[in-house]
Amino acid sequence: MKTFSRILTAILIFGLFVHRASATLDDALSFALEAADPYVKEGFTVREDYWGGDLGVKQKKAIMQQLFKGNEYWFWMGTDVSNAVVSVHVYDSDGNLAEVESWHKAHFAAARVTPKHSGSYYLIVEIEKSDEERTHWALAYGFR
Amino acid sequence: MKKRGFALLLLSSLATSAIASDPPRHIDLGAMPATVVDDVIVPVPSEVFGVLDKLGTPNWHEVLRPTQSNAIGERAQVALLLGTVIAEGFIAVEAQESEEVKKIGRNVLNLASAVGVRKSVAARSKAIIDAADRKDWQRVRLELDGALTDVKTAMIELHDEQLAQLVSLGGWLRGTEALTTVVNRSYSKDGAELLRQPALLEYFQRRLKEMEPRLRKNQLVAKVSESLVAMKPVIEETGDVSAKDVEKIHDISADVVHAVNTR
Repeated sequence: MKTFSRILTAILIFGLFVHRASATLDDALSFALEAADPYVKEGFTVREDYWGGDLGVKQKKAIMQQLFKGNEYWFWMGTDVSNAVVSVHVYDSDGNLAEVESWHKAHFAAARVTPKHSGSYYLIVEIEKSDEERTHWALAYGFR
Repeated sequence: MKKRGFALLLLSSLATSAIASDPPRHIDLGAMPATVVDDVIVPVPSEVFGVLDKLGTPNWHEVLRPTQSNAIGERAQVALLLGTVIAEGFIAVEAQESEEVKKIGRNVLNLASAVGVRKSVAARSKAIIDAADRKDWQRVRLELDGALTDVKTAMIELHDEQLAQLVSLGGWLRGTEALTTVVNRSYSKDGAELLRQPALLEYFQRRLKEMEPRLRKNQLVAKVSESLVAMKPVIEETGDVSAKDVEKIHDISADVVHAVNTR
């Protein structure tokens, strides 16, 4: 009976942990989509997909993306950690900064690109500052 | 308009309050550990079609073709077929053919049933049909995009990641065929440049290589794999993509899409 109760407790703790992890990622995505909201009104189509995970402070993650000349893109990054400073920047395949503007604020970061060429680009996301050991982040993008 | 401008201004001004370092003008991508660069975002067909629309007014009616309503072949073929049908949905939207879009919405559901993910796309299929009835093309695009995401997510949940990759590949191949059809009819350097997709090609090739041997040996999957190898020299082109190159990619993609649609 004791063993059963221990297993049950372990399952409950694991369940809570999994729930918490997915909840924080969902929260990060909510912030990314909140950042996107004003741009939707400007005619940007927000893709119904997102990318995310968790990173330590000063850790970076690169995501490769195909961008097309003729489109304009906004990338929005969100985090659920209120005092975290996050950033997203876009580089071309030669490693040159490709964005035309970017901004940061609590919970959010964003970058805009009007590609000079169609091809591969790198989105570099980073947790610049955070009180948490691991900080959840989510990235969404829109185009027009 | 003023409110929108104000919202953007507010976000921009709030931005100054955060402390973030300026990004370097240049980074050494080669020095980045491979584990850091493991994600590739596969674009949705609307991203390509949107550019084509800006370059001219393609006759999408000529590009649009009827879709398969029922599953054919093994699961791998159904997954590829599902991808091509969803891509056809985007073409039907460009052509503003509401009856065809509705048919595609129903076909997506039939094919999703055949690979065991009917439940996850039932609501999308209905939303596609409803939006097509209202001729709300923007909404149809979003629902098609959502259908693609839902199908793949459901397959991943069922531990069918490899089939999910085939759905993406099917969509990409039909999208590439449609793109080359349009560019072939009225060649422009900017239109042809849309074919420059080296990262995507490499990503798909990597995913095919990682597939289990049984799937890799599937005749159709092997054909898809060969078609990517044949396309590679043009897709990786760093200079201008010529009309001849466009034609070459068209022939390769048309041939493999035909195979996907054939019993």
